[in-house]
Amino acid sequence: MNGILAFVALLVFPGGLFLLAGGLAYEWVDRKLLALLQNRVGPRWFQPLADTIKLLAKEEIIPDKANKLLFIGLPFIALAGGLTAALYVPMAGIKPAYGFPGDLIVTLYLLSLLTLCMGLAGTNTLDRFSMIGATRTLTQVFSYEAPFLLALLVPAVTAGSWQIGTIATYAQSHWLILVQPVGFVVALIGLMGKLEMPPFDAPEAHTEISAGALTEYSGRGLAFFQLAKAVELIVGLTLVAAIYLGGVSNPLWFLAKTLALLLALAGIQSLLTRLRIDQTVGLWWRYGTILVLLQWLVLILLKRM
Amino acid sequence: MATKREPERFTISIGPQHPALKEPGSFQFTVDGEIVTKAYVRLGYAHRGIEKAAEQRNWIQDLYLLERVCGICSHIHATAYCLAVEQLAHVEAPARAQAIRVLVAELERIHSHFLWIGVSAHEAGFETLFMYSWRDRETVMDLLEGLTGNRVNYSANILGGVKCDINNEQTTAILDGISFLEERARHYFDVLTNDAMFLQRTRGIATMSRTQAEVMGAIGPTARASNVARDVRVESPYAAYKQYPVKMALDTRGDLEARFVVRVNELFESFRIIREILATLPETELAARFPRRVPAGEVVMRVEAPRGELYYFIKSNGSDKPERLKVRTPTICNMTSVIKLAVGHQLADVPMILAGIDPCFSCNDRTVQLKDAGNQASTMLMWEELRLHGIQYYQGLNK
Repeated sequence: MNGILAFVALLVFPGGLFLLAGGLAYEWVDRKLLALLQNRVGPRWFQPLADTIKLLAKEEIIPDKANKLLFIGLPFIALAGGLTAALYVPMAGIKPAYGFPGDLIVTLYLLSLLTLCMGLAGTNTLDRFSMIGATRTLTQVFSYEAPFLLALLVPAVTAGSWQIGTIATYAQSHWLILVQPVGFVVALIGLMGKLEMPPFDAPEAHTEISAGALTEYSGRGLAFFQLAKAVELIVGLTLVAAIYLGGVSNPLWFLAKTLALLLALAGIQSLLTRLRIDQTVGLWWRYGTILVLLQWLVLILLKRM
Repeated sequence: MATKREPERFTISIGPQHPALKEPGSFQFTVDGEIVTKAYVRLGYAHRGIEKAAEQRNWIQDLYLLERVCGICSHIHATAYCLAVEQLAHVEAPARAQAIRVLVAELERIHSHFLWIGVSAHEAGFETLFMYSWRDRETVMDLLEGLTGNRVNYSANILGGVKCDINNEQTTAILDGISFLEERARHYFDVLTNDAMFLQRTRGIATMSRTQAEVMGAIGPTARASNVARDVRVESPYAAYKQYPVKMALDTRGDLEARFVVRVNELFESFRIIREILATLPETELAARFPRRVPAGEVVMRVEAPRGELYYFIKSNGSDKPERLKVRTPTICNMTSVIKLAVGHQLADVPMILAGIDPCFSCNDRTVQLKDAGNQASTMLMWEELRLHGIQYYQGLNK
């Protein structure tokens, strides 16, 4: 019986199918909202799915000098990272499928896997645009990763547990956004950095370096990278909503809170101009990190008292 | 794409095909990390042999050919050509025709500058501004369509005058349209000079001093943003600009922000001129009679296109075709400044620096340089050799 449940958890819910469908749906909502804010029509509801199917059906061109194993393997690892991370997160308002003390850290690193894979993929293909894109991707990781991690650890310390399930239960009775607004903002903006959304899209600034690290990717590899990004979007939103926005105790709350967050993301995306990579690094280390450290200081002082 | 990784040289090639370029042009940037250390440009990918084609067509056919030199500032090309040929033939277009020429030219300037705001916002990664400014640009496109019947190549000019008249309804439509656009332009001025994120990408970037602008031969709004007071409409007024004098928009700072400010200020000036023309449109004929053959002679005509000075040289030998016709568009004059200013800036700033001059590649390509892919040796072919080369090339394809 347990075996079947585990299988279902991995393949249907919360991993596997549900996550892929949810990721694509959220990607569509994001694109549609952004389009509406920019006075465009935007894609139809099945567009992300259609894009994925089209890419899967296409030939995958592997550059001559690239390491074939890495080139084919990296998209899978990136997608696997996102799918695995979902197992520890209260997807759709239902308790995490798995959990152990400290799974918050593991989840955060699983979510970073996508960025690392993209960086590696960029350097692996040796293309000039990919190289610059990969350098920027990795530079960006070093700027947002620490503040993002710190921002999600503040609630963990408040809740007294580093297990997402426990924090989420604690958060259901405490709207942490009210007491730790800075942490929330840093976490949300950090998520945008992770997903390379505008204004943090310097690594794939197409007016400068085409598609950045993924320039040489086509067909299946590109489809998996895009799926991984879609999955990461929904997992990241769930994580932030569960921790900061009073938890996601049922599917309805889950929908309302994550979509509200997505609306905020779309708004930020449409309002801001792309940051240059040096400006991104400056923003995170000059403001993001300092702010989140101040949040920590307040927390420590309050805990002492 | 083959990689070229030498110990100290990492060259990024932008173009001939690249998302930043809406038209083909090739740029090579040697970068050290993100900083550009060397820049090189190669043009000629959109060479269409228009000058040669113009020599084979008669004076009237050339009007329609030359209007297609540029897809954005098409009217100004036709105007320059008409004014030049009229000067050669000693025909003067009636006052109403000249005023309508200026009117359409200013509407075209509005359309071009709105387009440019969108393109440069897009290069900076500010998609929302791009979408909004292009939406508003539709208004002026509709006005031009209502006036001339066409959205892009308006064909408002004929030799000796203009084709289209303005009635009261059109006057009202234009006045309404430009009131809306003026309001939008005010809003964009506010955004372009106050949006902190956008200013990070424009303020102090690609600063060109007045001396630099003069040495590099910059023209048009690019030069005026560096306080070089050059505007053909002011220094040698053509068509009806004598009756409707233009106040030049100048800025002293010379950076990208200044170029935005100058162009938006030019929009306000255009709105003013259009209102003035519509209020005081002279009542005359629309066109003067024009002979089929043009007396022998040479003429130089300079007009102010939205991007800067447009230069026409026409030589007639008394027949119904021009003997030689030379066009120099503003982009080629400003290209030097891109290459010089890019050095020392970040790669991320390069698309903005390029967009800053409002480049139009297919307009400026007057020549093409063929390079051997292997040894990079370039050859120059004269007309006869080129013709022969073309014939042999296509015969080779057929075999």
